[in-house]
Amino acid sequence: MAAISIRNLSVCIGDAVLIDDVTLDIAAGSWCTVIGPNGAGKTTLVESAAGIRTPTQGFIFIDDEDLGSMNERQRAKRIALVPQHPTVPAGMTVREYVGLGRTAHHGILRAMSARDRSLVEDVLARLDLSHFALRDVASLSGGERQRMVLARALAQSTMTIVLDEPISGLDLRHQIDFLELLRREVDDCGLTVLSTLHDLTLAGQFADRLVLLSDGKLVCEGPSHDVIRSPELAASYAMTLRVVDIDGADVVVPVRNLSMETLKDQSQSFDGVPQTLSPRLY
Amino acid sequence: MLEALPPSRRRVSIVAACSFAAVVVCALGGLAVGPLSISWTSILGNVASHVGIGHSHLTSLQVLIVWQLRAPRVVLALLAGAMLSVAGGTYQGVFRNPLADPYLLGVAAGAGLGATIAIVNLGNGFSTPTWTPALAFAGALLAVLLTWVIGGRGMRSNSSTLILAGVAVASLFTAFQTYLQQSNTSATITRVYLWLLGSLASASWHQVLVVLPYVVVCCIVCVASGRALDVLSVGDVESRSLGLPVSRVRLIVVLASSLGTAAVVSVVGLIGFVGIIIPHIVRLLVGTSYRRILPISLFFGAAFLVIADAVARTVVSPSELPIGVVTALVGAPVFVLVLNLRRSRVIWPQ
Repeated sequence: MAAISIRNLSVCIGDAVLIDDVTLDIAAGSWCTVIGPNGAGKTTLVESAAGIRTPTQGFIFIDDEDLGSMNERQRAKRIALVPQHPTVPAGMTVREYVGLGRTAHHGILRAMSARDRSLVEDVLARLDLSHFALRDVASLSGGERQRMVLARALAQSTMTIVLDEPISGLDLRHQIDFLELLRREVDDCGLTVLSTLHDLTLAGQFADRLVLLSDGKLVCEGPSHDVIRSPELAASYAMTLRVVDIDGADVVVPVRNLSMETLKDQSQSFDGVPQTLSPRLY
Repeated sequence: MLEALPPSRRRVSIVAACSFAAVVVCALGGLAVGPLSISWTSILGNVASHVGIGHSHLTSLQVLIVWQLRAPRVVLALLAGAMLSVAGGTYQGVFRNPLADPYLLGVAAGAGLGATIAIVNLGNGFSTPTWTPALAFAGALLAVLLTWVIGGRGMRSNSSTLILAGVAVASLFTAFQTYLQQSNTSATITRVYLWLLGSLASASWHQVLVVLPYVVVCCIVCVASGRALDVLSVGDVESRSLGLPVSRVRLIVVLASSLGTAAVVSVVGLIGFVGIIIPHIVRLLVGTSYRRILPISLFFGAAFLVIADAVARTVVSPSELPIGVVTALVGAPVFVLVLNLRRSRVIWPQ
């Protein structure tokens, strides 16, 4: 069953078409990542799916229920968002911040119940944040902060979570740690994830399926391995990409725009990877 | 990491207890202070005698002074201080703007214009000075309504649009008010100025009864919105994704803050500084959560305005200082002191 069904979605601002008639299904318990160049409409698509942007046309269904017919509270119980640039309110503790995820459950006039509190503690422990619980949110490092924002989203106890560029600004180690954490939630808890990522290699390695957007249109969609190796990928970015296989993982390498002949020559003498690899050139 | 720790529960409890104690002490002090010195123990004795404990030692003149002159003034100061502080804190939360005060959306300018229309007797008898509170109240609400409509009804627009609309409306109303004021005699101008600076000199039980329902209802709504304002601290978009009906919350708290403020200023005039300074002092003491800031501001604001009024009516006795002057003169140094004590960790060094 599709956890998220996007039907003929179009989003326009004035004359500008940000998303153009996109139809997409994301299976429950899977991870789908939207890729594409800047301005392709990735953020608009995930914001629409999270219900914080109203579509010009089309529908979004979460577990077969129309997102447009839900109020904020109902929506927050079905889908959680990790925004690209989360606001970090200085002075708030990590525990209080993660507790904000329970707002839709206890309402704005009631305090957190014992169950809400235990769920928050559980999420803090799962994401290794318990020892930060009393720290000021503003005192955390980039990696810790991003983990905290994910914790807030997980505290919403939704089965679907939307993340917009969750690893931008993190170092390599923290990028991998964050994505591993998310993968674990998908595999162990059956979470459905819709995310955007700029890093094509990481997108291909962690997501089950990739959706390639270009100029607001869905260009290509399918299992990560197929989309990464599709000719449409390089065409969307209007550049030359090389995909190499390292221990079964697709690694996307951008190359300078040289002539095809030069590139072929270079691929013969490609000595940065073991001989067993077969670099492909598009 | 000391600074990264939030205020402890113990500290919040101590501050809350101090704020409540401050209200009681200041109220008693407010009743005792004046040209005719009456000890607070005699006043307590009089209060006790009313509930059948002991005998009052106050003369009938003293009873009249305490209960008919000073008490309504103290109660009105408590109500005005509480309302302005809570409204200021609420505005700071809902607009996520530390410079916000209860007059942000044009309440002051609207009330100022309304009061000026009454004081200059515009329309020769159509509006007279006795109409001052009614016209000030109407002007304040009209200004906020105009701001809300111009600012896109605060629904689709963000809070900056609403603040800018408030600036525009306030400028417009102030322009009209200044025009009316300057085209009159100097005696009228003085009266307008005195109203603009605020005063509790004409406080009466009638005024207390007029203001009381507004202050009680509006303060309850604002304090109850503390949890929503905490959620709102992550911004409109994220709050919405967390399940907060942002537009509705903003409408309700802006309505409550503005209505309460309009009711208060229509009676006591434009008392400045309380609404901005008290929530900031409280924030320095108990942290950034509006669940703590708003109720504690209510008590501290109430106590602060009673002190300011006591100073206003005693330092240049028998005449009085405008209370707006005192709130700034007392409030600014207190704020700087708290800020420095906090920085140097003299107050609760964790």
